[in-house]
Amino acid sequence: MDAPVLHDPARDLWIVPIRHHSPACAAQLECLLAAVAPTAILIEGPLDFEPLIKQICDPRTRAPVAVVALRDMEKGGGARRVVSYFPFCNHSPELIALQTAAARGIPAHFIDLPSTDPAMISGNEDAGDRSLLGDEKPFSVGDYVTALARELGCRDGNEVWDQLFEARIAEADWARFFADVGQYCACIRGAVSAATMEHDGTLAREAQMRALVARHRAAIEGPIVVLVGGFHAPALIAPAHGAVVEPKAGAGRCYLVRYGMRQLDALAGYGAGLALPGFYERLWQARGTGGGSLALELITGFAAHLRGTNMAAPSLPVILNAVEQAERLASLRGRPFPTRDDVIDAVRSSFIKDEIPLGEVPLLAQLRIWLCGSTIGDVPPSAGSPPLVEAVRERARSLGFTIADGERRTRELDIYRKPRHREASRFCHALALIGSGFAQRTAGPDFRNDAGLDRLHEIWSVCWSPQVETRLIELSEVADTLMEALATVLVEKLAGLAELGRGCSALAAIDLYAAACRAGLGETADAALDAVERHVLDDPGLASLIAALTDLVLLRRSRDILDIAGTATLDRIMAATWRRILTLLPELAWIGEDQLRPAIAAMADLRGLIELARSSAAPLDLGLFDEALARLGEAELDPMLAGAVTAFALTGGLIAPAALDQRLRSELASGYVDPADRLAFLGGVIAIARELLWTTPVIITALNDVVAGASEADFVALLPHLRLALMPLDPRETDRLANEIADLIGADPHRLAVMVDIPEADLAANLALERELQAILAMDGLA
Amino acid sequence: MSEQTKAIRRPAEHRYAAELARLEADDAASPRPAGWRLSPRAVRKFLLGDAKLNITRKFYGDDPLADRAIVSLMSQQGLMLVGEPGTAKSLLSELLAAAVCGTSALVVQGSAGTTEDHIRYGWNYALLLAEGPSERALVPSPVLNAMRSGRIVRFEEITRCPPEVQDALISILSEKALALPELGPDAVAMAAPGFNVIATANLRDRGVHEISSALKRRFNFETVHPISDPDFERELVLKQLAERLEPAGVLVRGERDVADLLVRTFQDLRTGRTAEGVNLNRPDAVMSTAEAVNVLHAAALEAAYLDDGRLSGVHVARQIQGVVLKDSPEDGKRLRAYIDHIVKERAGRSGVWKEFYSAARSLKLG
Repeated sequence: MDAPVLHDPARDLWIVPIRHHSPACAAQLECLLAAVAPTAILIEGPLDFEPLIKQICDPRTRAPVAVVALRDMEKGGGARRVVSYFPFCNHSPELIALQTAAARGIPAHFIDLPSTDPAMISGNEDAGDRSLLGDEKPFSVGDYVTALARELGCRDGNEVWDQLFEARIAEADWARFFADVGQYCACIRGAVSAATMEHDGTLAREAQMRALVARHRAAIEGPIVVLVGGFHAPALIAPAHGAVVEPKAGAGRCYLVRYGMRQLDALAGYGAGLALPGFYERLWQARGTGGGSLALELITGFAAHLRGTNMAAPSLPVILNAVEQAERLASLRGRPFPTRDDVIDAVRSSFIKDEIPLGEVPLLAQLRIWLCGSTIGDVPPSAGSPPLVEAVRERARSLGFTIADGERRTRELDIYRKPRHREASRFCHALALIGSGFAQRTAGPDFRNDAGLDRLHEIWSVCWSPQVETRLIELSEVADTLMEALATVLVEKLAGLAELGRGCSALAAIDLYAAACRAGLGETADAALDAVERHVLDDPGLASLIAALTDLVLLRRSRDILDIAGTATLDRIMAATWRRILTLLPELAWIGEDQLRPAIAAMADLRGLIELARSSAAPLDLGLFDEALARLGEAELDPMLAGAVTAFALTGGLIAPAALDQRLRSELASGYVDPADRLAFLGGVIAIARELLWTTPVIITALNDVVAGASEADFVALLPHLRLALMPLDPRETDRLANEIADLIGADPHRLAVMVDIPEADLAANLALERELQAILAMDGLA
Repeated sequence: MSEQTKAIRRPAEHRYAAELARLEADDAASPRPAGWRLSPRAVRKFLLGDAKLNITRKFYGDDPLADRAIVSLMSQQGLMLVGEPGTAKSLLSELLAAAVCGTSALVVQGSAGTTEDHIRYGWNYALLLAEGPSERALVPSPVLNAMRSGRIVRFEEITRCPPEVQDALISILSEKALALPELGPDAVAMAAPGFNVIATANLRDRGVHEISSALKRRFNFETVHPISDPDFERELVLKQLAERLEPAGVLVRGERDVADLLVRTFQDLRTGRTAEGVNLNRPDAVMSTAEAVNVLHAAALEAAYLDDGRLSGVHVARQIQGVVLKDSPEDGKRLRAYIDHIVKERAGRSGVWKEFYSAARSLKLG
């Protein structure tokens, strides 16, 4: 396949094919620009980013930085926010071109479709954060690259690229270099079908680039350099058809933000750029020496890095061997200096004195992390970060969080004793709740579940990344401070509960509200209050409401440690939830049989809640509960529910033990068809207050009387259900109960735990019966 | 007919004499490390093949490993090839030695019975008694021979030797010299340029010894892994099967499908995960490509001599238990579970798997 033309003399256009983030392309571009001395530079990049060129070229800008574009897309009836990035690193040819243009005082323009154009996101609309640099997959997959790798003895497309191009970073003949890049990319393009290019928007983008090149050509005298991804270069020679697509006003917004090496890494899944960008950064820095000292710098640098970790650092002879190994591998593979894979191979051979299992070993994983780098760039103040971003950054700095790099760190917060740590904890909670991905709590007291309260410290895993800033930029449209952002997110999340199928769940709403309180939302949460109350008032589930109110009581109890300033809001929601519980309580009278057990469980939780409220002096009007209970007690209740209500009434002092005695006896002696029903009442009592078994002697007496008076057959029928009813008791309680009964009937308590031998004949008969049973089960397919 | 050409298996430098000669002729002007017969690039071509010079590929699966091994041999470090049995470590060591110095015959076979004399030197005791210690009475080990002639010595199965015997190599590798005190106070054998050691070791097998850290430091380690690409492994197995069957004039049919079944089974059991992503219990037994070739070879012989010459899943099923039931009785249960769940499922979709399943079901696997 012929190489595309680098220079079109008729139009005096230099169409320079590059690969994004390639240091060799950047270095050769510097030479080309010096030789050609263009009067303008046109760059493949979204047209609507032009206003940001000044900021990108600002001397205070330190790469890596990225233009982040936000736009709302209509999809499936709803709007969806799309976030995409256009990153620059020190060795991006695009950045070199922009900086050269600024230094020479010549115009630089972007010539791609606006970032809001559908063609810029077609192909993978459903992807999350994405790159606007275009898809670089063709450089690593496809028959052409695979065959070339086999021919050159390379393991993958990346090594092919390094061998063919990065190794030529110091080559003198830039024209030949770009001709070769052009040819290589043209071959890759040859393997992609026109239909694919139509579908993924490539053809639409190229039409735009042609149209804008024509427009600028007409307006500017002298040679023009057009900088495009090598993939598009062949298409730019053709004459322009069609009009320029202009950016739509107000269709989207774009900002220049700090970006990180980790996000630049192609392996991290952002699709564009070279894998392990830290290596290319160092190659770029070593371009002056022709890459000669690169292996030495990298290997000694990595060894020094290992000394700072808890991994074994290599000795000097090992380091020397590795450097020598890298140089010789490069020479064997026909490269002027060791490239990425030579260095990784050399470390693999020399540093690891053991068998390497399939998968990855820690040392090589560490090497990859180190070769990726963790630098985060900086943007000038004029980049106009929204106030929210500035405020959060300022707050993070003042609380002692490192935001200058993308390293993941662990922060231990002494939340009980140090107010500043408490503030840091709230800050982390806030950033976690808004979904910034900055902080993740890995340990600490759990005030919500009343667990781990003896832990003095909270441990957070924190990592400042460009995604944090992007999320803040997204929120900056609606909020200027973190608390405003938090309130907005809370309202959004409450509204979103319906979509998750939890539209009327008090528990879900209060979960969110409690999270916001932990994040220090306080009185600003008023906006969300109505929504929370609505959820409470709509919730038909007693269990969910009781769990939610328990959460609130626990939250209120921890208000000091959580620095919840006023409790007025909290009290208001608590009161609303309590009212709702009391409204629903009498309705238990009409529940179906299948709902009975969950209702009893909820009532047991309710008792726990009432005790918790009493012990923590929560402002709940507990007197109202007695009224509600009395209303429930008036109805005709299922025996189990009646048992539960009676137990509540007895513990609350509303009835005398005699009333319980009377009801229990009548239930036990009743003529229900199913003996289980005779014990349902007792089951209800035990579920709510099993301590009544030994604090209220009438129960045992009643039970004893019934058992003593029962015939053998009656007793055998009753026995399994009696056991079931007493199941909730733990072994200690069972012992206690047994002793009480022994007392009552005058038996020797020491004779209670007796092993009763089964006669041989009974055992044999039982075993035979079991075998028979199993045979029947097997026959029915139930074994 | 020379002694070498009559051997069951001739060393690499004889098997590939013509290829080595072609490479040497083509390579005359290329720079090479002192003492090397071929340039490093020609060694690479010898291992990985070269269409222009009609050099066949002899080492499969991991080209960067071949590069690293060649480069390690140029350095002060020895080369240690480690990995599971049957991953062609010894073959690689033989090929490297043949290409670098023209002979793969300087070998120390490591075993529990290896002594320091096998690494340093021994004596012709008749001469020793008659003449006293002299150069004539000294019996050099392959290591000493390699040092004197500037060639590569291979140390097979180094972890089978006790550590104190292994450690005799430490000073040889770091000093590149061996003192011969019996021949005089200054008698030292200095290694000529080109000398190096390729050791092969199995670090996880039963009955192996540790390697001391001091010795480890003097080697560059390379791990040879089983081949992970099933298509590629199948082609390799078929190629090696043909190499074994052709000289004997054995003809079988249907070997492609059976090789596919065998390789998939081996890959599943080796990795503990099927291609469909179902997790399995991995047998302890080694499921290497070499073992796969052995199974297929035995199955092919059975098909050819005891059956109608059509290789089928039945033949593989009969042979596979010999591979799996070596180490642990648990392995039988693991294979049984594989047959009952994975093979059974596949049996519904393909003829060869069905044959395999019906025959494997009747195996006594414990």
